[in-house]
Amino acid sequence: MVSIPPVLLIAFPLFFAFLAPLINMVSKKAVKPYTLFVLLLNSLFAILLFLEVQSNSVVYEQLSGFYPPIGILLSVGYIGAILAVVINVLAMVVYISYFGDVENSVKFSMIYMLVTASSTGIVITGDLFNMFVFFEITAVGSYGLVASMRTKKAFEGAFKYIVLGSVGSSFILLGIATIYGYLKTLNFYDIAARINTMPETARLMAFIFLLIGIGVEAEIFPLNGWVPDAYEGSSNRVASFLSLGPSKAGIYAIIRLLFTLVPIMSGFTLALILGIFTLVIGELAALKQKDVKRMLAYSSIGQMGLILIAISMHSKFAFIAAVFLMVSHALAKSLLFLGTRNYDAGTLKNPWIAGPIFIGVLSIIGMPPFPGFWGKWYLMLNLAAEGLWSIILIVVFAAVVEGVYYARFLFKGTGSDARSITKSEVAAIFLLAIMLVLIGIFPQYLYTPAVKAAASLLGGGP
Amino acid sequence: MRKIVAAIISITVFVILTYFFITSSAPINYTTGGQYINPITHEHSNQSVPQQYLKDSKKDTGASNVVTAIVVEYRGFDTLGEVTVLFTAATGIALLLDELKRRNVPHDEPNFIVKVGSIVVLPFIVVVGTYIFIHGHLTPGGGFPGGAVIASGFLLLLLVHTNRGLPERKLSVTESIAGMTYALIGLLGLVFAHEFLENYLPLGTFTYLFSAGIIPLIYIAIGFKVGSELGGILHNLKGVHEE
Repeated sequence: MVSIPPVLLIAFPLFFAFLAPLINMVSKKAVKPYTLFVLLLNSLFAILLFLEVQSNSVVYEQLSGFYPPIGILLSVGYIGAILAVVINVLAMVVYISYFGDVENSVKFSMIYMLVTASSTGIVITGDLFNMFVFFEITAVGSYGLVASMRTKKAFEGAFKYIVLGSVGSSFILLGIATIYGYLKTLNFYDIAARINTMPETARLMAFIFLLIGIGVEAEIFPLNGWVPDAYEGSSNRVASFLSLGPSKAGIYAIIRLLFTLVPIMSGFTLALILGIFTLVIGELAALKQKDVKRMLAYSSIGQMGLILIAISMHSKFAFIAAVFLMVSHALAKSLLFLGTRNYDAGTLKNPWIAGPIFIGVLSIIGMPPFPGFWGKWYLMLNLAAEGLWSIILIVVFAAVVEGVYYARFLFKGTGSDARSITKSEVAAIFLLAIMLVLIGIFPQYLYTPAVKAAASLLGGGP
Repeated sequence: MRKIVAAIISITVFVILTYFFITSSAPINYTTGGQYINPITHEHSNQSVPQQYLKDSKKDTGASNVVTAIVVEYRGFDTLGEVTVLFTAATGIALLLDELKRRNVPHDEPNFIVKVGSIVVLPFIVVVGTYIFIHGHLTPGGGFPGGAVIASGFLLLLLVHTNRGLPERKLSVTESIAGMTYALIGLLGLVFAHEFLENYLPLGTFTYLFSAGIIPLIYIAIGFKVGSELGGILHNLKGVHEE
């Protein structure tokens, strides 16, 4: 078996993104196939990395020739490998939808590659400051992607995102500085081993700083003011990409913060409360929306809340639920965002679009046999086993609200500005739908790694 | 009302933070606060990370500037990321401003002193910038400040020639080649040594120009890259198109 150094997942797309302007000068037509090739290569690396993690349970790679924590360490555990595969493969599938489009900008493709690479970087790094650097690339790239439509709404969304994103970045930096000031280290596992030597208040402060900073990217309740505007202003494909890449990386960082960096019980309680608020407010706001993209954006917030609730239960089954919900959200939301522009009362009759969208909606609201169902099922089982009936009530209430507005969306079709769908978009939507169905029918292929990810994280490992 | 609420919230946050930073007994000395643990082998060290940087950087990297040793060698991967942040920002600005149509604002002719002075000053700016990034491993400075100094030369040019832009295509090619060089230097580390960005060149004589292995090469690449990127940003913000 080929062993791939994890750093190639980041270094190759960076190199190819730097090369892209030269390709553009030689031939403008070559840019899209070239970008697709780079994303394909990266997906291949991610899958190989996942296989390697399956045989070794964790892959370490030290960089610059110094052992950690002197140098930077990349560490890929199960959860990182799962998310690396999800981000890279889905980014490639969504990029397919760009083919056959008149608009052709090499700069857009470059930013697309860079954001894919940096989202992957967040999930495979083992170093706090390195994670911050990748957060910066992800955020700066996402501002550009959101604004790339150059409409009034796009600039409004991007501006809100920039303001919140920069405040969030400074909070992450403050948190890192607090930890480094006491422990003089930046490596996740070195911090985890010695976090108890920090004074109580300092530890709590660092936790809250990091939570605020990461929460902006992970779309958590008081920090997600940018989400609806940014998703509404950006093009459908960018919205689709944002909901599969940067938001998943943000959730991964929350997992790392809660389980590895500062594993205090009050942290999990705080995350649970924030998760409940995010869920309820997101779903209720989605119910009121008239615009389809805003509705999907608020629904995304609700899903993030549900994932956060599942993570904060700090138990094996709930974490498996979180993995299924993340995969379901990445697949189904990117499908819905890709499809909605073409989805109004007229296109309901077009089975090529209506069919996959129906599958996506079913997965989001948690109908069997799709991954969303498995996620909600495991979460319910866990909540019932722990006797947390009040949370079950809240989750069921949110699911009912979700069902109502998605049913309205399916039958009334509130979508606007329909246009003829390109073949490449249909292809991308279909690929996503097929993946949803496959994971729904064969959940064991995701269940086994998810169990191992949960076991490793609960044991304090990667 | 909103202003009052906002003021109250920010003052409260400020008070809490100040209280926290005053009362917490943060260790200021770099030697305290941590004998680190290697997370792979679980070995305990008898010193902290910054202590080790100060003690071993000469032996490990051959650079007489410790800051450079940390930025380019010990934490070189972060620096590749930071370069990419700037690259992404410049690309985003170009993406947004590239094809926007601009009104033709009549420009005033620049001052005579500025015009003549620029001819005298410009070569010195470029030489100083180049000096800063070539000697990054010996003296304070490095690729980022050196590139920024060179970009200030570009700014001077844009101010003097009010209706002309910079050669965008050449800047873009320079930027691409410099970025690829940095990534390639890192990837060659996997080939000639064992790890990404690991040094595989001889360390040379301490404090001499040809020393510290790959550090000067990386800083030259960064210098070119930052200079051309900031120049590109200035060109895009001015909005005059010229090939």
